[in-house]
Amino acid sequence: MSEAILEAQAADTLPGFDELLFEAIQSEAQPEVLKRKRAEAFSDYIQIATPTNRDEEWRRTDPALFPITEVKRLATLPQLDALPARPADEDFDVVIAVQADGFAIMRNNDTPEKLGITIGSLAEAAEQQPELVEQYLQGKALPAKSGKFEAFNDAFWNVGFFVHIPDNVEWEKGLLIRYNITQPDSLLVPRLVVVAGRNSRAVMAEHLESADDIRFIAVPERELYVDESANFKLVSLQEWGAQSYQITNDWGLVQRDANLNWITLNFGTTRSKMKFGSDVAGPGSAADMDGIFFASGDQHMDQRTLQIHSSPDTYSRLLYKGAVKDVGRSVYQGLIIARPGAIRVDAYQTNNNLVLDNGARADSIPGLLIDADDLKCSHGSTIGNLDPEQLFYLRSRGLDEETARRALILGFFEEVIDRIPQAFIREIVHRNIEAKMES
Amino acid sequence: MSDTQTYFEIRNLHAETEGIPILKGVDLSIKQGETHALMGPNGSGKSTLANVIMGHPAYEVTDGEIIFMGQNVLELDPEERAQAGLFLAFQYPVAIPGVSVAKFLKSAHDACHPELKSKSSEFLKELRENIKYLEVDDSFINRYLNDGFSGGEKKRMEILQMLTLKPKFAVMDETDSGLDIDALKVVSKGVNKLAGPNFGLLVITHYERILRYIHPDHLHILIEGKIVHSGGPELVKKLEESGYDWVREQFGQEVLVG
Repeated sequence: MSEAILEAQAADTLPGFDELLFEAIQSEAQPEVLKRKRAEAFSDYIQIATPTNRDEEWRRTDPALFPITEVKRLATLPQLDALPARPADEDFDVVIAVQADGFAIMRNNDTPEKLGITIGSLAEAAEQQPELVEQYLQGKALPAKSGKFEAFNDAFWNVGFFVHIPDNVEWEKGLLIRYNITQPDSLLVPRLVVVAGRNSRAVMAEHLESADDIRFIAVPERELYVDESANFKLVSLQEWGAQSYQITNDWGLVQRDANLNWITLNFGTTRSKMKFGSDVAGPGSAADMDGIFFASGDQHMDQRTLQIHSSPDTYSRLLYKGAVKDVGRSVYQGLIIARPGAIRVDAYQTNNNLVLDNGARADSIPGLLIDADDLKCSHGSTIGNLDPEQLFYLRSRGLDEETARRALILGFFEEVIDRIPQAFIREIVHRNIEAKMES
Repeated sequence: MSDTQTYFEIRNLHAETEGIPILKGVDLSIKQGETHALMGPNGSGKSTLANVIMGHPAYEVTDGEIIFMGQNVLELDPEERAQAGLFLAFQYPVAIPGVSVAKFLKSAHDACHPELKSKSSEFLKELRENIKYLEVDDSFINRYLNDGFSGGEKKRMEILQMLTLKPKFAVMDETDSGLDIDALKVVSKGVNKLAGPNFGLLVITHYERILRYIHPDHLHILIEGKIVHSGGPELVKKLEESGYDWVREQFGQEVLVG
């Protein structure tokens, strides 16, 4: 065997996502800091073994289900002047619209500018504020070394945004990032870095869509840095199309006395593997993680959450509500981690699942990893069909069985829907749930 | 409907749950405009009877029939029974998180009275009046159905639903249990608002005191799945004058708590 072949075997790359593609990306014009960070990530990427279904994390969702090597990475997306507006855009100060052929940052007013808020592509931000951006490209929100797909994202991302909210700024109307991909057999690798400065307050939303009739894969990564006493809320509504796939890695780092609230709403894709972790890293900090997922048809949704407590006197609450229908399948794996010294921690994890058909299946695997004492950590999970007593109660008041079932299913999710601040997202969530009940 | 025609009638009703017979031949006939009281010790089948009347799927009727205004009730789904004008005030109403009281009551009202499908504004106006009448807090209607309600609030909620749905025949399953005297008065007030020539009522109770507020025309005593004694206005009058000790002496302390 020649030396070259030996080397190629040592580098663990996904076919097509190799040195050759990487060199092509690196030859594109981009700020020095991004080039350097991509190179570091690529070297991690080739060293990290590609996961298989023998890895605990992927045991219930075989990585082979994701045809990454059969799709083509969209060329790094160029910035366009504008893309068509939508009615809901008006609810935000700024809207970023992303399509396969480019993205546009559309400002409805000059509020962000007046408040000193940075909203831009990673490239633009790194060009203008290289030191600031670099501080947040160290992967500090990640609790450990990157995994394969985090390194993949950091090396191959083709659209990236950087949002920086300065200290003491209250940003009421916030930002919407919406994706709508219609390019067949394409791969989108979005990267998002958000920094909420000390004592700031802000709300953001994401809306992810792709056409139902195309095969499409997304490998997003989000990093949220919530600085001291800041209050940051993000709502991510995922409606990727019926033939799409996604592998996500999302991390939030919450400093002293700060609050992070992240609501994830998952309705789309045929196969998805999602990981979200928050670290309440400063004393007095809090994280609220809420989620809805609904797998119908033959959808497969796998979610893993981590509630990490690195500091004493920290708080986290997680409420994930899911339904499976037809032959849909969901996996929820949750872990609460209290690091050494994290005393007086208050953590709770709740995962409730509705199994609406005999062919459907939901797995709920809660877990605690406690290295401290004097704390309150607990979890609860339920898996079951609709409560026959509730069903009878509604029917005894005149609602037919179908209407009663719908009311109960919507009601099941309402606790989370209630926490969504944007009315248009609540409406879309209702529509998704209704469509799934109908199908 | 003439007075002589049967309004609500149970004939030789047998029912079981999980293979255990509970009702062993119940006969009961109620005319339009009448209020009947059903008493009996714990485990005698009172709640089973209430649930069977409404069509609870956990109970199987093995014999007999229930006729309401000429219709065989046992052939109907629970919602069809409600739409026909039957109502059950539950002993233990379940909480339904995520379903708001106002929204639920509107859809229940429209399902039971498609001919009266009202505008939301009119509906809410009437709902608010009923809420005031039942001395319930206004915030009630925006809460989730029975979710986090106290025992007394749940019972008022049942009566509020009854006033909203305007049934032709209602069964109250121990609605008075656990209520303090003020709540009991409010509940009775609600019931008496509906009472009249076009209404029939079966009050299932364990306590004498509610009979002071809701005056029955007939009394029945259910023991071990059978009605062992029934009496009409003469009996009621006698009991009102000389007290219910006679019931306890004859059928046991358990039948009716003083």
